Amino acid sequence: MNEIQAAVWQALNHYAYLDAVFLAERLYAEVRSEEALYLLATCYHRSGKPYKAYRLLKAHSCSTPQVRFLLAKCCVELSKLAEGEQVLIGGVLNKQKSQDDIITEFGDSASFTLSLLGHIYCKTDRVVKGAECFQRSLTLNPFLWSPFQKLCHLGEKPDPDQVFRLSLQNVSIAQPPPSVSPAQNPSHRLDTALMETPQDTLELNRLNLESSNGKLTSDLSVSYIDSSLISPETGSLLGNPVSMATAGSLLGKQNKPKSGRSLLGGPAALSPLTPSFGILPLEPSPGDPTYLQNYSATMETQSTAPSKKSVSRISQSKSVFSQTGNSRDVLPIPFNQSQTSAPHTSGSPQVLSPSMSGPPNVQPRRSSRLFTSASSTAKENSKKLKMKFPTKIPNRKTKCKSAKTSNSSNLNESLDILRLDPGLSLPDTKSPQYQRAAADSVMALLRELGRGYQALCSYNCREAINILSSLPPPHYNTGWVLTHIGRAYFELAEYTQAERLFSEVRRIESYRVEGMEIYSTTLWHLQKDVALSALSKDLTDMDKNCPEAWCVAGNCFSLQREHDIAIKFFQRAIQVDPGFAYAYTLLGHEFVLTEELDRALACFRNAIRVNNRHYNAWYGLGMIYFKQEKFNLAEIHFKKALSVNPQSSVLLCHIGVVQHALKKSDTALETLNRAIGIDPKNPLCKFHRASILFANDKYKAALQELEELKQIVPKESLVYFLIGKVYKKLGQTHLALMNFSWAMDLDPKGANNQIKEAIDKRYLPEDEAADSQDSSIMTDADDTQLHTAESDDVL
Amino acid sequence: MATPSKTPPGVDPKQLERTGMVREIGSQAVWSLSSCKPGFGVDQLRDDNLETYWQSDGSQPHLVNIQFRRRTTVKLLCIYADYKSDESYTPSKISVRVGNNFHNLQEIRVTTLNSHSITSSVMNNQCLTPPPPLCPSSLQQLEMVEPSGWIHITLMNQRTNDPISTFMIQIAVLANHQNGRDTHMRQIKVYTPVEESSIGKFPRCTTVDFMMYRTIR
Repeated sequence: MNEIQAAVWQALNHYAYLDAVFLAERLYAEVRSEEALYLLATCYHRSGKPYKAYRLLKAHSCSTPQVRFLLAKCCVELSKLAEGEQVLIGGVLNKQKSQDDIITEFGDSASFTLSLLGHIYCKTDRVVKGAECFQRSLTLNPFLWSPFQKLCHLGEKPDPDQVFRLSLQNVSIAQPPPSVSPAQNPSHRLDTALMETPQDTLELNRLNLESSNGKLTSDLSVSYIDSSLISPETGSLLGNPVSMATAGSLLGKQNKPKSGRSLLGGPAALSPLTPSFGILPLEPSPGDPTYLQNYSATMETQSTAPSKKSVSRISQSKSVFSQTGNSRDVLPIPFNQSQTSAPHTSGSPQVLSPSMSGPPNVQPRRSSRLFTSASSTAKENSKKLKMKFPTKIPNRKTKCKSAKTSNSSNLNESLDILRLDPGLSLPDTKSPQYQRAAADSVMALLRELGRGYQALCSYNCREAINILSSLPPPHYNTGWVLTHIGRAYFELAEYTQAERLFSEVRRIESYRVEGMEIYSTTLWHLQKDVALSALSKDLTDMDKNCPEAWCVAGNCFSLQREHDIAIKFFQRAIQVDPGFAYAYTLLGHEFVLTEELDRALACFRNAIRVNNRHYNAWYGLGMIYFKQEKFNLAEIHFKKALSVNPQSSVLLCHIGVVQHALKKSDTALETLNRAIGIDPKNPLCKFHRASILFANDKYKAALQELEELKQIVPKESLVYFLIGKVYKKLGQTHLALMNFSWAMDLDPKGANNQIKEAIDKRYLPEDEAADSQDSSIMTDADDTQLHTAESDDVL
Repeated sequence: MATPSKTPPGVDPKQLERTGMVREIGSQAVWSLSSCKPGFGVDQLRDDNLETYWQSDGSQPHLVNIQFRRRTTVKLLCIYADYKSDESYTPSKISVRVGNNFHNLQEIRVTTLNSHSITSSVMNNQCLTPPPPLCPSSLQQLEMVEPSGWIHITLMNQRTNDPISTFMIQIAVLANHQNGRDTHMRQIKVYTPVEESSIGKFPRCTTVDFMMYRTIR
């Protein structure tokens, strides 16, 4: 059976899903065991058919955690949230498990389980519980970005410095196969005969192997299968089929687990000083049989106390394969296998073991032996595994024994490593300090990104831009970072900057769709129809199943004023992904433009239902109420939008106008002053301030404002129109006429009616007694003037 | 006596739409006809296809009724008529009536365009809405002579020169070319002026710089 399992895993790793599914089906038919069931379900899920996995797993009872996790994942993907929740924590009738229970039960995959559970809670409106789950998940595994992201979206402010920290426990999690690693006792178990038995270490070995198989992203299934498979396994070297398969028969081949490099990024040429992931160990040291002999010998001899050492040794060996450093020896806790074992702060692993000085974070207790495995088999396995261990161990052994003394040297070493010329990818890179340092720099990078992202989510756009722009160039020039900086500029209404960044994103990552809807709105604001239609065509050709592409298409047609087609495209975006709030907002705006205000209201409310912090939708509701002249409601909604995004000068401008409409002119002026303070380049704020001053008869101030505005936007006809009105009120009719005619020149087609009216009315106050005939004569005279002007142009 | 000059065609209404000054609102109305031949009814009149047409099947005057759910401002009516393809079915005299319901209709003054001003202004990109014509032909009823394209009919309130605001519009074909009995009408479009002021009662702004800050999208 193991051969088949190995073959299935190999097929999966080579993306040959048809083969994998076929073999898994035969295996399952032959051996109706839960592992085979799990394997088959995994194959279905990997091949993109979660419904198959779902139905398969539903039909059979699932007891092991990994099977339940997979089932819950399929449920969530098929939008069966209640069922997913029930699978994870038990139903209404059974006793529901608490988060701690989940953690103990799922062990290594607890972080993912909690993340999934948090997702379910958030979607079912239990936001508080969801946030809790995300927090726990992050404490368990700081490498997970999505819980952090979701917490930011919920408006919570997780502290990136606290979150993205490696601790002992996290170190273990960081391992690729965070399967319930029985051996991964957090520190508190240290005291009690740490890795009590070789078994655990052997488990570790297994896990190490798995990690060496390289997938950084913990391949749960791999690890799970492994553990489960290995336990009953005795005999053969093939005892670890997973590792065999995935590592491409590591055994005796000393292949390089290149896949392990993922976390640390690709190129070795990274600056060593900035958050560099360091150089990856490109060549695991070939398994040295002698070494391994030693190893196994030591293993056996150290059945009791020095289990620490053995563990550490194992971990060290692992470190070569595992991309990230093994926290060396000191961590008796097997985590060394964790990639980025570097115990975050102190670079002194040594400190950890002896004292087990509690790591800064309190690690939740994890049962060390979630997978009961026959110790004997474990032992044997480890023997087999020994070949995979690199020769570094002797070093580590010594280091291990030399407890504190080497502490400082380790530190120095790690510092040295950091200063290494990136070009040298060398044996040094394999050392655990190096790995740890690399892991540390990963965490440092994540902290920076986390801070930037959180600033963006709370709409502190300037800060977000500063933080994200100060990232090192290799990271700065990635789609994710540039997109988010672009978005920050967008929220500040600096559309030209945003457009520049987004076009850069398109250049370097043409496959990126996340954030393209913001790009399309930027182009809409800038009225760049050619670029927008090119973007729309490109995206809809590339991926018809993502809502962003259809939003872009809708924006394109909206700019062309073909509102019916735009509406159709936005509705399509909603169909493709009903959880995409922005599509609802854009659809609402289109309905407003076609004057279907009730449908627009419904759309904006839908957007808010999907995402409460979507301030564009609150703004949209405010706009509709403003159009309907329900100024109080409009103000309330604008203020709600402002509470989400307090830095938006456009919002403040609107609030000012609404307050003026509510006759609260002083507050309006204050609000507008605030808006101008935030963004002095916003001409509309000044314009509205001028119009409020005009309405309050403060003509001089209004004129001054308008003169300033003329400098900023010299071609805007509205400015001259308002100046003309002010002069008219002041009685300076020739100046008024002059400005009106300028306004008309600048806008021949649009504001004709109002400007013409303004010109006509000019005569009425002077000529109170004049009957309508006079005014109409005047009108005609004006008209003929205009006509002649026009006909001159025409001819 | 000089033969009356042929009514020249107006600009394609799609171009008008693109200026953002007007918006087609025929879809917000209920359309009905006084009579029609099976297969040549309202759908063919409103299908955006110039090949299909409405053919009436009763006695004159033939009526097209456009009823809105609420009082709507209407600025422009565009009718496509083509003498070359429709010959004696081409309408020659059209009257436009507005009111609240069938019993309340009043004929209104309509003006139409002189194509010269339209085409050249289009070329100069100055003004795409029908300006008051050089020789205003603001008749009570619209008379067309061998039309060959879109006819733009501006509906204006006599007193204020604003677009009219009404519940119902009735287009009556009073006479056809060559005294034909029935009429063909290929397309009718109804346009309302777009008020783009997002905030405040100001006319629309002209520069992109201003418009960028006008709204949050």
